[in-house]
Amino acid sequence: MALLELNGLSKRYGGIVAVDQVTMAVELGEVRAIIGPNGAGKTSLFHLITGVVKPTEGEVVFDGHRITAMPAHSRCQLGMSRTFQITALFPEMSARDNTRLAAQARDKQRWRPLGGAAVFAEASRRGDAALERLGLTHVADRPAGLLSHGDQRLLEVAMALAQQPRLLLMDEPTQGLSVEETAQAVEVLAGLFRDGGLTVLLVEHDMEVVFRLAEKITVLHRGAVIADGDPETVKADPAVQSAYLGGYT
Amino acid sequence: MRMMIAVAVLLALLPLGLPPYAMTLLTEALIMGLFAMSLDLMVGYARLISFGHAAAYGLGAYTCGNILLHTDIPLPFAVLLAGAFSGLVAVGVAWVCTQATGVSFSMLTLAFAQLLYAVAFKWTSVTGASDGLAGIPRRPGPFGTTYFATKTGFYYLTMACLFGAFVFARAVVRSPFGAVLRGIRENEAKTLSLGYNTRLYKIAVVALSYMLGGVAGALYAPFAGFANTELLFWLLSGQVLIMVIVGGTGTLVGPILGAAFFLLVQQQLSTYTDSWALFFGVIFILFVLFAPEGILGIARRRSARAG
Repeated sequence: MALLELNGLSKRYGGIVAVDQVTMAVELGEVRAIIGPNGAGKTSLFHLITGVVKPTEGEVVFDGHRITAMPAHSRCQLGMSRTFQITALFPEMSARDNTRLAAQARDKQRWRPLGGAAVFAEASRRGDAALERLGLTHVADRPAGLLSHGDQRLLEVAMALAQQPRLLLMDEPTQGLSVEETAQAVEVLAGLFRDGGLTVLLVEHDMEVVFRLAEKITVLHRGAVIADGDPETVKADPAVQSAYLGGYT
Repeated sequence: MRMMIAVAVLLALLPLGLPPYAMTLLTEALIMGLFAMSLDLMVGYARLISFGHAAAYGLGAYTCGNILLHTDIPLPFAVLLAGAFSGLVAVGVAWVCTQATGVSFSMLTLAFAQLLYAVAFKWTSVTGASDGLAGIPRRPGPFGTTYFATKTGFYYLTMACLFGAFVFARAVVRSPFGAVLRGIRENEAKTLSLGYNTRLYKIAVVALSYMLGGVAGALYAPFAGFANTELLFWLLSGQVLIMVIVGGTGTLVGPILGAAFFLLVQQQLSTYTDSWALFFGVIFILFVLFAPEGILGIARRRSARAG
């Protein structure tokens, strides 16, 4: 069953076509990557899915509901959690408080202006569990802004996980990391995805990361889908090779 | 907590030993402290810098003044009603102002306060225009008591309002709601992307801030016996922002100290010179440069070093 469907999604800025008639789906339980060369429209497509930007035409369907016009924060409430290309955290709060605030967003009483001990207790429990899954328990009490860059990226994933998302959206999870940090982060993420239960859509341009993490790949070129399938098929696709891989194999 | 009780006992005992003039000054300091604390909810916790917080004060003062002049509602209830009204108006103000962020937000709050200032000059039947409202009485009650009309009684009423507001504000900033405010302060875009409708939270905190600020203004009207357009003027908005910063933002207690400090310095300097504000400006600059965490920050740093 498709958890997320995009039907003929386009975004035009004046005469420039950023996203061109994209139709694709993310099945429940799969880890899918969107790849493409710089300027292929990956980030624009991501913005359309998360609701930061509204499409010129086409529709976004999540779990059978058309959410094309829904604001970003309401999509989160449906169970879409995301990480950013440039790490977005609460730098002065501890790592633990970061995940707690993320988990609290799923509580019906998240807005309570008085009391709320039960809200905090439940959010802390979920937040701490997420920190543990990403191996961050040992830095839980440190301010997020003082963590290493690699840990900050993982903390952002932990925040998304703490929300127990139905769809996890990741925008270049290894962006800005050194070679070693990337290898470590990929190891942690691969373990996380292997444990199952997650549906993931990630945007990434590091091919090694993509082939290590994703079960399904959608290739974008000039805003349009040029290939879709498992890594082997995509790798062998001549259109992909000429557009993007250019001697990678 | 123990500290709070100690301070409460001290403040409660002060009327026994202080001369009337000092009592007046102390009452005014408590009112200003409440006003500054109310602004700290916005500035210190959600990083919503208001350049027009006098709007809350003036709204509270004029509303309370009118209630006391034209009805028999007892003084304490009039104060609470005026605070509630100020908070209610703030929902509309915040709905407009939160369309913008950063400096634009600040300028909109200023614009709104100046709008009220202009209205107060024209709406003679309600505000008395440039004459203001004079002879605002301290109505007796509840249960016919005239205690709150006395100097000491009014002091205790003010103290009760300040402590009640402080306990309330502290509970708010420690609640789930308060946690979201801190999220907005540190990274609003991220808070939004986590699924919080940040604009609603901002509107709510502005309303709470105006409500408490309105209570402060509502206390001022029967305290001074009058209300005039100065209570809505941008000068007061600037002064209260300075009190918050000098006292220490995001602490609730700091701004109360900042207000007391401001009034003390004003009172001392103004006996020597009319340009006391010039000297306070220097003090303010020194704080911003060398102690941006404010009076409370200095005190905490000292006690940390000592113990």
